[in-house]
Parts: sequence; C-alpha cells; structure tokens
Amino acid sequence: MNDHRPIIQIKSVCKYFGRLKALDNVSLDVAPGEKIVIVGPSGSGKSTLLRVINRLEVIDSGRIIVDDMDIYDNSSNIHEIRAEIGMVFQNFNLFRHKTALENLMLAPVKVRKTPRLEAEQKALQLMDKVGLRDKAQSYPAQLSGGQQQRVAIARALAMNPRIMLFDEPTSALDPEMIREVLDVMIGLARDGMTMIVVTHEMGFAREVADRMVFMDGGQILEIAHPRHFFEKPKHLRCQKFLEMIL
Amino acid sequence: MAEKQVTIEVSDGAAIPRTGDRGLVSAWRLSFLIALALFLYLIVFRQEPYLRLLKLLPDGIIVTLEVTCASIGLSVVIGLFTGLGRLSRNRLVNLVASTYVEVVRGIPLLVQLFYLYYALARFVLLPDMAAAVIGMSVCYGAYMGEVFRAGIQSIDRGQTEAAMSLGLNRMQTMFSVILPQAWRTILPPVGNESIALLKDTSLVSILAVSDLLRRGREFAAESFLYFETYTLIAIVYLLITLILSKLVSLMEERLGQYERP
Amino acid sequence: MYRAISLMVLAMSLLTGNAWAKTIVFATDATWPPMEFVDENRRVVGFAVDYMEAAGREAGFTPVFKVVAWDGIFAGLAADKYDAICSSVSITEERRKAMDFSIPYFEVRQALVVNRDSSADGLEDLKGKRVGAQIATTGYFAVRKVDGIEPRSYDEIGLAIEDLYNGRIDGVVCDDPVAAQYALRNKKYRDSLKIGTIIESGDVEYYGIAIKKGDTETLNLVNEGIKAVKAKGLDKEILNKWIGR
Repeated sequence: MNDHRPIIQIKSVCKYFGRLKALDNVSLDVAPGEKIVIVGPSGSGKSTLLRVINRLEVIDSGRIIVDDMDIYDNSSNIHEIRAEIGMVFQNFNLFRHKTALENLMLAPVKVRKTPRLEAEQKALQLMDKVGLRDKAQSYPAQLSGGQQQRVAIARALAMNPRIMLFDEPTSALDPEMIREVLDVMIGLARDGMTMIVVTHEMGFAREVADRMVFMDGGQILEIAHPRHFFEKPKHLRCQKFLEMIL
Repeated sequence: MAEKQVTIEVSDGAAIPRTGDRGLVSAWRLSFLIALALFLYLIVFRQEPYLRLLKLLPDGIIVTLEVTCASIGLSVVIGLFTGLGRLSRNRLVNLVASTYVEVVRGIPLLVQLFYLYYALARFVLLPDMAAAVIGMSVCYGAYMGEVFRAGIQSIDRGQTEAAMSLGLNRMQTMFSVILPQAWRTILPPVGNESIALLKDTSLVSILAVSDLLRRGREFAAESFLYFETYTLIAIVYLLITLILSKLVSLMEERLGQYERP
Repeated sequence: MYRAISLMVLAMSLLTGNAWAKTIVFATDATWPPMEFVDENRRVVGFAVDYMEAAGREAGFTPVFKVVAWDGIFAGLAADKYDAICSSVSITEERRKAMDFSIPYFEVRQALVVNRDSSADGLEDLKGKRVGAQIATTGYFAVRKVDGIEPRSYDEIGLAIEDLYNGRIDGVVCDDPVAAQYALRNKKYRDSLKIGTIIESGDVEYYGIAIKKGDTETLNLVNEGIKAVKAKGLDKEILNKWIGR
C-alpha cells in the first residue's frame, strides 16, 4: 500500500482560532487509495484537519501538499485543487434552489465546462449509484436526511475527485438513515477511492479503515491499524475515549 | 428572567400582501376595492372636473412609470454591487461601498435631485429624464445595497463552503449558488423599496419633469380645484402602488416554490 | 405669541403715525424680482412691497408680508391663512370667479427671454423646442397656446431662467419686469440672455391684489390706497426705483 508516493502530505501544520490552538504541529501522509478514519472527542481538531486540506480554513504554519501541489502556494490554483478533492459535510449543504440532478451538474458545467448533456448523463449514473435515480428531479427539501447525504456524496463524485473528505457524514442523521449512507461510502471504498473520514461510526471504521487516527487537543496522539487500535490502543486518552464510546 | 427579543420592522413601502393569505377580506383587497370604487364613482357619476383632469393624466402616468421602471432596474444593479462591495474582503472596495451608502443616506432625496439637475449643470448637463432616473437610482441603490447585503448574509455559510469545495470560484459561488437563494429573502424588501421608489418619483416633478404629480399641480394651480385634483391624484397613485405590491407578492410566491415539500 | 404680535402691530402703527391702522397680511411667493423678492438681508422687498407700503400710509393700513409658495398661494387665501395676495397676480376672468381683485396697480406684458445668440423673434420661432414658464402663470398659458412647443412648467421662475442659461430649454416666458430683471440687470445672466420680444397677446394684463371673495373691508382699504398712490404720482417714483421705465 505504501509503495506509492503519498497523495496528501500534511507537514507540521498549526492552526489557531484566536488564541485557541486548533491544530498543534500535525503531520500525516496519505497514500493513494488509502482510507483513513479520524476519531477523537469533540473539539479535538478533526474537522479542522479536514477543512485545511482543501483550504476552507487557512493554516498558520506548516505545509500541505496535495498531488504534488502546495495548496498554500500562491502559484497553485486552489479552485483546480479543490475540484480534485470531494467533500461531504455533516449538514449535507445541498444547494436548496436546485434539484438533486442540478446539484450534481452545477460544478462539472461551471468548473470543468462539461457539456450539459454529458454532465446530465453522468449525474444520472451517479444518482443510480447512490440508489436515488427516481429522486433526480426532487428538491433537497423534498428528500429525507439520508437521501440528501447520498445526493451530496454523488455531487462530490460528479467532479471525479481523487480524494474524498467526509466530515461526520452521519452525525446529523436519524439512526435508521445512517446505514444507507454508510453503504454508499463502503461501496466507494471498495472502488479504491482515497478517503479521509471523520466519524463516530466504529463499525464502519473497523470494516473500511486502513489506518485509524486518534486526535485530541489539536494533536494526533495515535495512528494505528484498526485491529491494533481497537484492541490495544497505546495512548491512555485513546483508551479512555474508546471505553466511552464502545 | 430572560428578556424577550423584539424586532420591529418598519418600511415606508406599501404593505406587500402575504403570499399565503387566501382570506376573502385582506387589507390589500379592501384598499383596492375602495380606491377603485372611489375612482369609478368620481369618473362616472361626478365627471366634472375629474374627467377633465383624468384626460391630462395618461402622459404623466407614463412618465411616472418610465422613471419608476428605469430607476428600479438601475438601482437593483447598483444595489447588487453595493451589497457585494459591503461584503467584500478587499478593504478599499468595502470602504468605497460603505462610504457611498453613508453619504447617500445622509442627504435628502430632494436635495440630491436638485444637486444633480441644477448644481451639476455646471459640469455636465443631464437631460431631465436622465437626471430623474440617475437621482432616484443613486439614492435607492444605497438602500437596495443594504437589502442585498442582508439577503446574502442570510444564506447559510455551508452553501458557500459546499460550492467552494466543488471548485467554484467566488463569482460562480455568488451568482450560481448564493444570489439565486438570497433572492427569496431579498425580493420582499426590494419590492417594498420599489414601491417607496415609485412614490418618491413624485419628487422629480420639481425638475420640471411632467410626471403624474406635476400634471395634477398644473391643473390645480390653474383651476384652483385643489380638493378635486389631489383626491384624484392620490387615488391614482394608490391604485398603481397596490397593483405593484400585488405583482411583488405574486413573484414572491413563484420564487418560494422549491421550499415546499 | 398673540400678545407679542399685538404689541408689534401696535408699535408699527405708532411708527406710521396712524394709531388705529388695520393690519393687512399679504401673501407673496417672493420669487419674482423686481416685483417682490427676498433681498440679501432676507427681507421681502420690491416694487409691490414699496407700493403697498405707500398705499398703506395713504389709506391707513399696515401691510405685513408673508412668504408662501406659489402653487398653494390661492388655496391659502381661501383658507383664511392671510387677508390678501400681493404676488404679481394677473387679473383674469377665471381667477375673478374664485376671488376678488383690487384695481390694477401695474400693467404687465409677457416677455420672451432667450439666449443672446438666439434668432427667435417670437414664440412661433420656437416650434419643436422647449419653452419654460412658471407653473400656472399667464406666461405658461401663453406658451401652451402655441402648437408644436413643448411647454415646461417650473415651480419658480428662477429655475426656468437657470435651465435656459444651462441650455436645457430654448426660451422662458414671464412678466416683462421679471424678464428685464434677469436679462438686463442680473450679473450672472445679463451677458448670456436677452429679451427676445414682448408678446402681443391682444389684451393688456394687469396685476391686482387678490382678496378673498366678500371681504369688502380689505378690498376697499386696498383700493383706496392704490387710488391715492396713483393720484399723488407716488407710483412713478416706485416704478423708477425698481424698474426704471
């Protein structure tokens, strides 16, 4: 797995919110096709780590290199880099004024200049893939939470990203809807997508993760294979965290 | 004990009928019926001098509507850019937009119109219609700018983040994602401002523009029939603003469709 | 307030040497130099003001001038806001239906003011052009009567003159003393404007004092004063002072 060059290199990144240190000297390499699951108590910096990778938050020091491009270098086109990184949010953030299909088509048409017809066909395929072909003409407000999140995943996929970031994708969902979203994510993992997932779904983590990352207080305290991570975590705080949620 | 947060919204525009209002008796219907009934009564049964005055009014109404439509169009464009400028991270752009709003809001519209028409004549001679439209638009552009700013700010940050994460740039995000959604929030106050604008076009009569009010004033000053003249003029303005407010409410209803499950 | 006014009236009556003089409040729009206008010291002055003061001395009344916008000036008279209007009001049949008039105190003709380089000799030459006048004045009626001219009505004659000076319109019609004031004497305008022609409208027009219908007491007092001023030749002096004709 590690015979390729890393697709994401996070090097000694620090990020402050005012005086609060959200990321404290964080370093992490992600290989192509690797699935990383990040866990940790709330406020530990997990979401911030995801958001600095596509520059939704700006780091204060360190470097982040995605696909050999330094995303904080002024010479690199951040919009191009972002187009390669799909992101799925806790609150779905579907465009409320557009149908599901239009949500999927917007970025390919606007950013990639894909012809409308082609974009529409691709969008329909993706709606099929997430099992919502019949909801293509529905507006977000007409869909359930689980359906919205599946559309949001399809929307990110419509750009053919090389990396997918998931920021607590199931936290805002009613329990009965979590499964349908996780199934889509598992399918995606099987297809070989590079994924970084922040989640509390430990079953999913066991099933999918190549490496587990535990964060607390803005620091990465532990990186381990899921089997080792769940059975004998080295770090005390990690042990306590797992005891609490398992 | 927690204090209750109370917001008072006051607008100088006519009340826009609520979109959901399906009741038979609404303020809008009542006003419209009263105005229409009065109008017909005066024209059909009283006739003199109302009919004589009415014949003078169509040109004036056209001028009023021309000034109104052109000014609404231009002030919406100015308002959009002002609103974007006020939200811009670029300090200079922000400062320019904010200063414009401050200055315009601090000068009475009547004075602005006099200034454009008579004072600026030393440098540039604006035709009367141009002076009227520019004057109204510059003034209302500042008000519309505040409406746009509030409307844009009312859209959840998540929408911007989602658009940005897909690779859209700021312009694309604003025009494809934020503004189409903000329109729903923006439309009612823009409609209100438009109605206020229509009423304020009566001020351009001081620029010797032959609008509805000036037609009436000429008639009144010659015939000394002040009561009759201004009664009819008021009714005609009321009918126009009521029709405009109905149009705004219909548009609002259309724009609201995608939120309904 | 009432007392202050009474005291003021009393003091003024004493000054004029006529202890029982009645006060007559005249409305004027004071935008019509040299007939009545506001001077640098913010006082209402002019031909008509001097004339009424002379008339007051002769007939025993004290004129007080109140500045009122022109387009509401007749409504104010009907509503008893003042006793009379002294504001270059031309006596017309239409107006006679709504109010009483004193005997004339000034004979007036309509003058066409144009730019100095204009070749217009009369309104007929301005067809297809825009000609301005003050709203609801004899001058405006004269402009409107000519087919093919676009009439523009202004709230004040000064604004019409300014628009002519700026080039937005091609002529202004107003009473001749006013035309003379702007086109011949005013420092700003006299080098750019000229009187194109005196419009012969057939019948001569007169300024009179407008008085509320039925108020014979005021009417008689004013008429008495005007008669006396004419009889003594005082009007010539005033004419000379303000108009110079």
